[in-house]
Amino acid sequence: MLKNVLIKYSKFATIAGVIFVAVSLGFNLKGQHSSDLNSFFADTLSTQDNTEGLPARNSDGADLNNNINAMPIYGNWRNFTSKEGLPDDKTYCVKIDGERVLVGTHEGLAVFEKGKWRTYTTKEGLAHNGVLAIDVSELTGDVWLGTMGGLTRWSAGKFENFTQLNSGLPNDLIYSVICDGKDVWVATGGGAGQYDTYTKRWEIFTEQNAPMHEPWTYGVCEGDGKIFIAAWGGGVVEYNKKTKKFRDYVDPDGNMEIDLFPDDGVVHDITTGTSWADGYLWVATYFGLSRYDGVHWKGYFDHDSGLASNFINYIIAQGPIAFICTDKGLSTTNGKNWVTYTKNDMDKNGKAVIIEGTEETELVMSPSISHNYVLGVDVKDNVIWVATSKGISRGELLK
Amino acid sequence: MIKRNFWVLVIFTLIVMFQGNELIGQEKDLKYGKTPDKFAPYNNFRKAYKYHFLEPVQFYGAGREKLPPKDLKEVRLGFLGPLEGSAIVSLGEQMLNGTILAIEEANNKGGYAGIPFKLMVHNDVGLWGAAANEVVKMNDEKVWAWLGSIDGIVSHVALRATLKMEIMMVNTGDPDPTFTETNIPWTIRVISDDRQSGYALASYIFEKMKHERVAVIRTNTRYGRVGIMEYSGVAVRLGHPMMIEERFDTGEIDFKMQLESIKKVSPDAILIWGNAKESALILKQIRKLGMKQPVYGSDRMVSPEFLRIAGQDAEGIVTTCQYNPDADIPGLKAFQANYFKRFGLEPDVFASHAYDGMNMIIKAISKAGLNRVLIRDVLTDLKTFQNYQGITGKIILDRSWNDIGEIWMAKVQNGKFKYSASPTIGTKRHSNTNTKY
Repeated sequence: MLKNVLIKYSKFATIAGVIFVAVSLGFNLKGQHSSDLNSFFADTLSTQDNTEGLPARNSDGADLNNNINAMPIYGNWRNFTSKEGLPDDKTYCVKIDGERVLVGTHEGLAVFEKGKWRTYTTKEGLAHNGVLAIDVSELTGDVWLGTMGGLTRWSAGKFENFTQLNSGLPNDLIYSVICDGKDVWVATGGGAGQYDTYTKRWEIFTEQNAPMHEPWTYGVCEGDGKIFIAAWGGGVVEYNKKTKKFRDYVDPDGNMEIDLFPDDGVVHDITTGTSWADGYLWVATYFGLSRYDGVHWKGYFDHDSGLASNFINYIIAQGPIAFICTDKGLSTTNGKNWVTYTKNDMDKNGKAVIIEGTEETELVMSPSISHNYVLGVDVKDNVIWVATSKGISRGELLK
Repeated sequence: MIKRNFWVLVIFTLIVMFQGNELIGQEKDLKYGKTPDKFAPYNNFRKAYKYHFLEPVQFYGAGREKLPPKDLKEVRLGFLGPLEGSAIVSLGEQMLNGTILAIEEANNKGGYAGIPFKLMVHNDVGLWGAAANEVVKMNDEKVWAWLGSIDGIVSHVALRATLKMEIMMVNTGDPDPTFTETNIPWTIRVISDDRQSGYALASYIFEKMKHERVAVIRTNTRYGRVGIMEYSGVAVRLGHPMMIEERFDTGEIDFKMQLESIKKVSPDAILIWGNAKESALILKQIRKLGMKQPVYGSDRMVSPEFLRIAGQDAEGIVTTCQYNPDADIPGLKAFQANYFKRFGLEPDVFASHAYDGMNMIIKAISKAGLNRVLIRDVLTDLKTFQNYQGITGKIILDRSWNDIGEIWMAKVQNGKFKYSASPTIGTKRHSNTNTKY
């Protein structure tokens, strides 16, 4: 009798023990502090570094492996600083406008056209020399500049300024500007603003008429008939253009110091930018990246994905690819595979780290992007421009 | 077979007994902001996927290579505070005085390499979102670092702007816990925040004084809404969620409606979270309604204005305070004497912390030179100014650059605030008893 009982329960205990250990290890591997997982990848990488048969590392990417087709790779970088004609090394934003490129710097607007740079400052009519955001109206071709001292419209060679004192602009410090048909949207230090270029009327959105905690906005984008506002401390505020109704998306755990679950919503309420493309809303924060497909959220951190850093300055999505400007390099992703561009600390060269699933490879870039602190990016056709803390970089599609 | 399974059972039991934290994804000390484990959100239920603020976020941008300008006539430093058009102008003026005193003393010692410091003063109340515009002005004025502000909204708006301008901001007056929970590597806070106040108050109220049923009346501003959050969270985790939470607006003078609601629930104690004036009026009206419960309050009640308005009713009130004027701290008495001599009044919490904060900026410049990024590097390296001996006490920064230094309890006795150490937080286990709500 005793023997039977012992057999019965010891079998049960064995099975339970195996399950328990497996579950425990599983949890450990999935958490933030999964050093085992990280070291596993590190080991894989270091092993690959010494293994033949991997894609060759060169500057033109000609020998890239076929299994990275899903992600575009950029290279042949060319860098521009004040030595090459920029008004300042510190560049905040970039916009490709047909045959010319517009670059917002700390000391004015730089325009690259026919191989030459030309600078525009307050002397020519800008509201402020610090140009933080740029967009171009598809309807009129007007250039809209978000500056540190107001909104500037550059139209037919003339500059027109909108400030708190002469218009309905919510605040003079403009972090983001977009053109949406006849409307211009801005995210400012005092709320979001919508300017109707036909009626010349402003509408201001703050915590008093929108679901924001406070009137702090940092990014704005359009997509799917909606305006998405990155509300600092308030997650993402969605404005439906048809119904004129708002809703918000916040981190469900309600705490600043943690992210309880990575895929339950925006990874943090301190949002810095949004971009909508291809059915996905991408949300940048200083704590990681989120993607929303209209039903499910997905969170990405630097410890569990190819994201260069959790500190994201800016994001723009085009088609299935998101271009993510971080303080440690430029990352691109389709949500599954990653390419991250960085520069070496001691020289002008750098690399592109390509991650497809658990496979990680590197391409040497010579030169690489101008600086790892990336503040802005724009992509058109086969060309990418990257605004950094020390100069701007132009890259070409390799594959 | 039996023997083998027996040993498997033994091993399994040992694993369960000695698993510790390793198997549940916990490798680092996750205490942020001096938070005891049991006060940490969700900690009693599960570990979070990601813990923030465990390591300081560094600034990886360019700028360290910039050489200092030549032929400077003055070294400009910025100040942002409520100086006009605000309900807290008196606090802003004290903060400005403390800043001025630090700069004058530094200039008397030769300034920076013989170049005098000059304070560029900015009011944070004005046009909508004024703080953002004022930071831009400070950038245009080419200040090397700046100090401010008090209001939570102002400080947040300014913080975001200062990241973009890349100017170091030293905050000495805003206790909003979320201020440093933004991961922005361009600020430090040199005053304990409402997380520390909330922990101290909750420990004092629930653990030391053994209250169980506490009502709250708070200002409708961000100071009240965000300030009360940490206290509220701890109260819940100790098993004593607030019985009722009433609110009031700045400038309100009649609180009868809110207080009658509180009276109906017969709380053990009442906590007021607001500015000095409204808090004093609320206190008087509490007593006028015949309510004799002990009353506790937030840090802004520690002011002459509160004592003047509340009068005798102030006796026995207990609050937290980030400044102990009676403490035996090196340099404190000299500061108080010099301040009184210069401005003709006693320094308060905002003056004293501003004095410490501006002195830290000045020392950072003397070490790093005239380069904004290098000044930032020195102030945030968690070495140079870790345990810095200020006249408010030792400055201890956590990894989000939030001051987790000492905080005091202030109790009104014989018409004056008497200060004592705050209780050690988190000694009590969770309550399993029904607190009879």
